Amino acid sequence: MFVAKTYSMPEKKDNMQITVPHRMSRKSQVQTVVPTNHRWQTDTRAVNDTEEQAIIRSQNFSLHYGSKVGVKNITMDIYPHSVTAIIGPSGCGKSTFLRSINRMNDLIPHVHTEGRLEVVGQNIYDKRTNLVNLRQEVGMVFQRPNPFPKSIFDNAAYGPHLQGIRRKDELQYIVEQSLRAAALWDEVKDDLKKSALALSGGQQQRLCIARALATKPRVLLMDEPCSALDPIATGRIEDLMGQLQSTYTIVIVTHNMQQAARVSERAAFFCLGELIEYDRTSKIFSNPGKKGTEDYVTGRFG
Amino acid sequence: MNQRTRIQLDHLFTAATGASILLLLLVLIAVLGPMVYRGSGAVFFSGTVEFRKMQRDLFERADQPALDAEIAETEKVRQAVYEMIDGFKKDMDVEGMSSQVRQIYREFGEELRQKDVPAEQYTKLRELTRGIRDKLEAAFQSQDVNEISRTVDEVLQYADDPRLKDTSAAKLFEIARNFLQAAQRTDLAKHHEYAAGLQEVERILFHSDGLPGLLGPRPNEPLPLLVMLRYGATRWDQAQKLLDRFLWVEQWVQTEPGRPLKMQRTPRADLFPESFRPLFTYVEQNAGGMLNPISTVYWQFFKDDNANSHYFGGIGPEILGTMLITVVGMLFVIPLGVISAAYLVECASDGWVIRIIRMGINTLAGVPSIVFGLFGLAFFVLFLFPLLGFEPRPCILAASMTLAVLTLPVMIRASEEAIRAVPQSYKEGSLALGASRFHTFTAVILPAALPGILTGVILSLSRIAGETAPILFTGAVSLGAVPDSIFDPTRTLSYGSYDMAVGDRLAMMVPHNQYGMVVTLVMLILILNGITIVLRWRVFKKLRGQ
Repeated sequence: MFVAKTYSMPEKKDNMQITVPHRMSRKSQVQTVVPTNHRWQTDTRAVNDTEEQAIIRSQNFSLHYGSKVGVKNITMDIYPHSVTAIIGPSGCGKSTFLRSINRMNDLIPHVHTEGRLEVVGQNIYDKRTNLVNLRQEVGMVFQRPNPFPKSIFDNAAYGPHLQGIRRKDELQYIVEQSLRAAALWDEVKDDLKKSALALSGGQQQRLCIARALATKPRVLLMDEPCSALDPIATGRIEDLMGQLQSTYTIVIVTHNMQQAARVSERAAFFCLGELIEYDRTSKIFSNPGKKGTEDYVTGRFG
Repeated sequence: MNQRTRIQLDHLFTAATGASILLLLLVLIAVLGPMVYRGSGAVFFSGTVEFRKMQRDLFERADQPALDAEIAETEKVRQAVYEMIDGFKKDMDVEGMSSQVRQIYREFGEELRQKDVPAEQYTKLRELTRGIRDKLEAAFQSQDVNEISRTVDEVLQYADDPRLKDTSAAKLFEIARNFLQAAQRTDLAKHHEYAAGLQEVERILFHSDGLPGLLGPRPNEPLPLLVMLRYGATRWDQAQKLLDRFLWVEQWVQTEPGRPLKMQRTPRADLFPESFRPLFTYVEQNAGGMLNPISTVYWQFFKDDNANSHYFGGIGPEILGTMLITVVGMLFVIPLGVISAAYLVECASDGWVIRIIRMGINTLAGVPSIVFGLFGLAFFVLFLFPLLGFEPRPCILAASMTLAVLTLPVMIRASEEAIRAVPQSYKEGSLALGASRFHTFTAVILPAALPGILTGVILSLSRIAGETAPILFTGAVSLGAVPDSIFDPTRTLSYGSYDMAVGDRLAMMVPHNQYGMVVTLVMLILILNGITIVLRWRVFKKLRGQ
């Protein structure tokens, strides 16, 4: 589906917005996103992944920077409508893996990959992959808030604009919906013309999330989205993830193990470019299968 | 080091910084101050009636009745000068008198024939008048006043002769009396000196072969061909210089042998006999009345074309040409510079080709501008234009392209720095949203790099507007028509300043126009830079979200 002209849906099971017209899909989404502000609890969450098929499939995926190893032989499935956390010590390749999912590593020279990495059934490292379609399908939020030096509206409308939506009212609608989805609407609705750089750090990060949501992705990659934020802003972002997971598939890289435990359903532990353990978060934190994982989560190293 | 020493050192540094900034400001004032002061003379000055006449004739700009009244008034004051000079000339004109005498002698003979005078009497009268004529001729040749007085007295004894009374011969006695008076008034031995001195006086007052005079040509004389000679001193400061030259003679005299010569000023009046000296006091006292200086604001200086190689008029076409060349040049520089910089930053890998390109850019930035001028002549004018079917001659387009090549390295370097300074996260953010690299560049990176790119624009703008050597052969002329299109050559402020400085002695006579042109160039660059700086500041503010 990332090949430009052969846009087909390999599976429709988890999907409710791709096949319907744009505005319709937004409406259906609005109904699902309930603006709740209460803290979202891990243990009260319903888990039914066994019935669902993985949306991201990594099979013996390796990535090298020249002769340096980024990640090697990663085999893991990531399931839709859930939060998957990737944890591990610095330099273990968790960000590299995350960025591989929408091929952001292409920016770095001399990168080459082996193995397969499938998103919605298609190997994204295929030569025919259309990067533009892939990246609209797999959104990304970065470590530091990086809104463009434009107005809030222009930031949120950037993705839809790219998709060729030019009508003002349509853009207005999408911007409002994405800002609502990112729980930012009430704070900025009166000055959408203001520069995004005038917002606070937490607001900027939520704007980045809204910007990513505006392209209607299925997967949202978050690369340590809270590391540059204070605890209150972090709390808001975490709330947001709880609300978003019903609609999107979220993959989050984090250094903060409390955060991983709070927000994620599954967790993968990376070390030295390899996937050590991948399981339900509750299991990883309470009863890890590997010694290394236990040492890491209990704070013995890392 | 204890606390107090540190604090004192701190103060010392502050003082040193402040002092250096102050010094810089003083230097700036010392450089620009006199220039601006002198340049302002082109617009603010005390204009004489000659200035208004010139404005009427050359630019059709006058209040006709008022000007006519003014001219009449000044001419009235000048009349005395003309009379004094004519009178002195008459005194000096011995040859004129002698030819007049001969003329009268002939006329008298004619008169006698017509009257049918008897032959005998006719011969007698002819002989008598011939004798008078010869005596007068002898007197004209003499330089001794006593001898002249004796001869004239001899002649005058015939004055009461009834045969000569009421005939044309009577005029002879009048001439004789006038000559005697003139001989008594002036020193005949110095006639040649007087004549030379008078010529000089006329040159200074009216005009000479190459230089305009204080009052301009006399009213009933034919107008000189050169426009600048048709008017007297148009500016009061010029008039005062000429007045000084009129009143004083400067001579380099040797006071002691072996020592350098010393300049000595003697009144010009001393060169002339008593009878002529009142002219000098008259001119000195009535210069204001003859020229009627009024303080003038000649703002049309920035609009008018010039006359007689900048002797009169303004610098309108120069300003227009500079603007045209700058704008057309910037149209080449900005897109080329930004695209090249984008290529170097975004697309080029770090190969040896790129390294050579970079080295080339750095080298080009240091090449003397005259080399670019020759390149422009050889490549654009003589090679490219014929190839494209244009006439191979210098023109605005060629000059702009040459200047664009000259400033391209500056523009590329500034834009490259600006583009490189845009945070990588903007690029990542845009790419992660599915934007292509081109769209990312135009929609996110370019706007964010705009302040830096505008800095490059400022640098190239000043360079393009101010450069002279590159346009020397490719598009600038010192005089010529106002361009119709970019395929015509043009005058520019920079080349005009150069041309006036090296051109000829005229420039020395109109320093106000020279300074005016230079100051206008500086101001023009300042204004263009100011606009760009304001633009950059606004873009910067918008980007920062303030």
